[in-house]
Amino acid sequence: MRNPHGYLTISGPDGVVEQDTSLCNHCGGIVRMPPNKQPGDVGGVCKQCMGFVCDRCYSRVGCDPFERKLKRAEARGEALRSYGLAG
Amino acid sequence: MAGYLASNLHFAGQQPLSTVYKSLVNLLALVNDQLRRQRIMAFTFSVDGTPADNTMICDVSRSTSIGTGTEYKPTRLDAADGVMGGLAIINFLAEPTIDPATSRTEGWAFNQRTTVRWVAFPGKGLIVPAVHAAGLAFRLKSPAYTGTAVCDVLVDE
Repeated sequence: MRNPHGYLTISGPDGVVEQDTSLCNHCGGIVRMPPNKQPGDVGGVCKQCMGFVCDRCYSRVGCDPFERKLKRAEARGEALRSYGLAG
Repeated sequence: MAGYLASNLHFAGQQPLSTVYKSLVNLLALVNDQLRRQRIMAFTFSVDGTPADNTMICDVSRSTSIGTGTEYKPTRLDAADGVMGGLAIINFLAEPTIDPATSRTEGWAFNQRTTVRWVAFPGKGLIVPAVHAAGLAFRLKSPAYTGTAVCDVLVDE
């Protein structure tokens, strides 16, 4: 895989399994990329953010990148704290 | 960014596994400390009990509450760095809140004799948001094994 986001190694009595991994651009989760697979086999590419997304996110309608979700969640906490509420 | 190591071997009191998920390490940000994003750069799951051929299932999920366990500041990889703003919790007595429908980032089944290691490429780690009590829980379960397990997590903050 070109430009993987991570690497998974499972080593045991039957040998070592190594796989590239990618991060889903919508949920931030780890997706294993088996050798010789296309992105469409394990998810797909969102045509709005042009990022790789996992199977679960690919089946959902709309584009909501993970970074935007994080900023929303963090902004909510900042607003609550500015009001003197725990957040 | 500074690197830190969180491990459930940091203090005595490892909790035994069972047929339901048991959190080994939870890394989170707390409003009482410093709310900063964390990036999980690597994690390892392994088993330190009597070797056998049982199925183990590991899981990395987003948690929304703290749970009850031993809280501590993860170990600095470089002594010149400051203390980590976030917190690690190990040896859970009460599990953190996790919504399995929306919060699971990934999970794998593996043999008990196996070690699972995931390493992120630079800048591509799993993100823990700077939100109070939001974190990532590293969990294990097994249908047969009831011993203890080891989880090490390398985190950048």
